[in-house]
Amino acid sequence: MSAAVAISPWQRLWGAYVRGSARHPALASLVPFVPVIVLWAAVARSGIFPPVFFPGPVEVLRKFDTLMANGILPAYLEDSVVRLAAGTATGLALGIPLGLLIGMSDRAHRALWPALLFFQAIGDIAWLPILLIWFGFGLTTMIFVIVYTVLFPVVLNTVLGVRSVPLELHRAALSLGASKARVVWEVVLPGALPNIMTGLRNGLGFGWRALIAAEIIVGTSGIGFLMFDARRAGSVVEIMLGMIVLGVLWYIVDGWVLAPIERATGERWGLVTR
Amino acid sequence: MKSLTITHLQKTYFDPFAARQVTAIRDISLTVEAGDFVSVVGPSGCGKTTMLNLIAGFLPPTGGEIRVDGRAVSGPGPDRGVVFQSFALFPWRTVLDNVAFGPKMRGVPKARRHEIAQEYLALAGLAHAAERYPNELSGGMQQRVGVVRALANEPDVLLMDEPFASVDAQTRMTLQEELTRIWAQRRSTVLFITHDVNEAVFLSNRVVVLSHGSVLDDIAIDLPRPRSWDALIEDAAFKTLAARVLQQVRAA
Repeated sequence: MSAAVAISPWQRLWGAYVRGSARHPALASLVPFVPVIVLWAAVARSGIFPPVFFPGPVEVLRKFDTLMANGILPAYLEDSVVRLAAGTATGLALGIPLGLLIGMSDRAHRALWPALLFFQAIGDIAWLPILLIWFGFGLTTMIFVIVYTVLFPVVLNTVLGVRSVPLELHRAALSLGASKARVVWEVVLPGALPNIMTGLRNGLGFGWRALIAAEIIVGTSGIGFLMFDARRAGSVVEIMLGMIVLGVLWYIVDGWVLAPIERATGERWGLVTR
Repeated sequence: MKSLTITHLQKTYFDPFAARQVTAIRDISLTVEAGDFVSVVGPSGCGKTTMLNLIAGFLPPTGGEIRVDGRAVSGPGPDRGVVFQSFALFPWRTVLDNVAFGPKMRGVPKARRHEIAQEYLALAGLAHAAERYPNELSGGMQQRVGVVRALANEPDVLLMDEPFASVDAQTRMTLQEELTRIWAQRRSTVLFITHDVNEAVFLSNRVVVLSHGSVLDDIAIDLPRPRSWDALIEDAAFKTLAARVLQQVRAA
């Protein structure tokens, strides 16, 4: 068969996109947003809604410029990110050892698991009323909420990960001369790592949401505060900007932090398939 | 390499569902001389894997004694290297670091233990795969790494639990030939568990037949070495021995 089937312009375009995004991975993360932005601009331009209610991309971009220039956005962004990072790091530092303990010790599992399920049910924001009385409107309250939110997915997934490590790997390490303590470091921890990453991913996602909620209620600074404060001023542009910042930030955390770790560990080792 | 002596080994379990004691190993006494290659065969449920788990120290015996080079042993230890049916390679370590794992646990410095690992990998023709991860290798290559990893730790006794049961038939024959070659070079003391009669006869100096947790028969394999499948597959002496072992396994 020598007669080539004709290639449609769409296929040509799709081919160019696939080749282009293979060469420049940044394209693959940006191009899918083009239709969304175009649609947004079109609806804003059409005048169906008053511009104050539904500003377009250009207005939001202009607002971004202003808030960057007067230093409000960088300051708030820093506040939010620092809170999230501190809360997540604390959550991991508590959650991973706790998960290892519960995963490896039947007694610890019996003693701690019911309480864990009980406290998991009292969602992050449900703690805010009592925390506000105990710690007031400050950093402690917000960090507590994030740590609390991050902790449970990390613990539960770590337990799952510890239990998924094949018995044979423990045995192999022991018969190669590893001590029991060494087995935790050499076998249990790396074996549980893909699950710990899942826990971190869920924890960060929930933690990020909890932070915004806490900032709205505690309200001193941060992206959540920016958005809620904008509501008081009736500035839809600022609210939209806040929403976009949230999305972009998560995209960055995923693309620059989580995904590279996952590629270098579980995926590389063949423990998880993409 | 050292000898392995088992005297009056016993193992009973309590089965909570049937509410009774189950006997896995009734009474086994067996000596593997230093540098000998002994296989243990028997039908499923005869206790051969339990026996290996007891010797390796993965399970505590309910009676009897296990001695390596005259020392009584309990619990797992680097004096008894184990090769698993499931390979049990560490997925997060490269082939080189898997093989270097035993020396690392002994505190051998990095450069030296990588040197050791390279030597042993070369022994199994795996030098080219040193920097790869286990999941990037075929089953046959993974088990070569499994064997080499156990050997690189220089155990007194090598315990092999149906190591070639999960690779394809052609690869299995190649691995068996390679194992006899490596064994001839290193004169390791090997206890090899299998349900494959031909494999047991091909590899061993002695084949022990297990039945209901006891030794049914102990057959000397006096075939000349080096052995290859090309030479033995139609060999009359090999066929006679294999037939005899098979008869005992089926009677077991």
